[in-house]
Amino acid sequence: MTETGWYVYGVVDGDRVLDDPAGRVHVVSNGRIAAVAASVDLSEFDELPDRLNDEEWLEAKARDHESVLRAAAAGGPVVPLRFGAVYRRQEDVVQLLDERADELVADLDRVRGHVELGVKGFVARKRLEDSLASDRSAAGAATPGRAYLERRRAEREVEDDASAIVADAARSAHARLLERAVTGVLNRPHPRELTGRAEEMFLNAAYLVPAGDRSLHAEVDALTRAYAPLALSFEVTGPWPPYNFVGESSREEVAS
Amino acid sequence: MSSRDLVSHGGPAPAQLADVLERVLDKGIVIAGDIQIHLLDIELLTVKLRLLVASADKAKEMGIDWWEGDAFLSRRNGDHALEERLRRLESAAGLESGSEDRE
Repeated sequence: MTETGWYVYGVVDGDRVLDDPAGRVHVVSNGRIAAVAASVDLSEFDELPDRLNDEEWLEAKARDHESVLRAAAAGGPVVPLRFGAVYRRQEDVVQLLDERADELVADLDRVRGHVELGVKGFVARKRLEDSLASDRSAAGAATPGRAYLERRRAEREVEDDASAIVADAARSAHARLLERAVTGVLNRPHPRELTGRAEEMFLNAAYLVPAGDRSLHAEVDALTRAYAPLALSFEVTGPWPPYNFVGESSREEVAS
Repeated sequence: MSSRDLVSHGGPAPAQLADVLERVLDKGIVIAGDIQIHLLDIELLTVKLRLLVASADKAKEMGIDWWEGDAFLSRRNGDHALEERLRRLESAAGLESGSEDRE
């Protein structure tokens, strides 16, 4: 006999109806707010540490979590829960809603009518350094030894300049993008092993913007045009459910 | 706007796994379920480390640490020479910090 439980994806308004053709995803409401949940086979969550390191399993589950929340977000505000919240009984899900109702309602109201957009910045570092190097005048040196030392020093300065430009671009871009958003957060850039790209990611930010508002997209296009001579580019991802803008830290941020 | 518009408008590419994992594993509300996935399990840390800590090291390698701490928007104090060099470089590239052209 398989034992089933309830996997909880997120929280929506209490009167929401979700249209899931597969009939897998349900709304569990306490009247005021509701959990987006699906019945799961508990045995699938046995030996979890092993599962979490099974990349195929993790990818399938993470993408399922994301796509259910994305679908829910299309019809109204949704407060994403972190991956992996499973309750044995439906009553326990309702109890969660009761216990944390005030906090969850506050989060729902804050993200209502808004979406999260991701912005990533990339640098083609070699191209940036090459263009900086070619800007320097190559003065003739008296001896080969002296020429070598000067070349090494010039290389180091070019590297420093490139790093300074990249850090400055990230700060400046974030400040400009914040002007187009309700709020925003900076996350750590992903390493190349994760992005699989030749360029290095130097900016990984998320912004909360009104749904349908394209002004942040326009600002990202403007940034890309402005920084193209420095081999920097910017990209938008999303709209995402507002993962980065729910929870205690978000409330503190807004309150301050 | 209908949900259909959100999906079809602009035809966004399928989300990168790293972007999904970062959000799904590291963001969102944390609740205490009956079966709790302990994100601090050593094993999962290897995933998180790959995603987050490794990128922190990479960023530091690149000389980027401005996102650490609260004062990321405040510039490092006392580095006027660097500031000056940046201004020169940016103006050479046609960028004027503080007076960027807007549409």
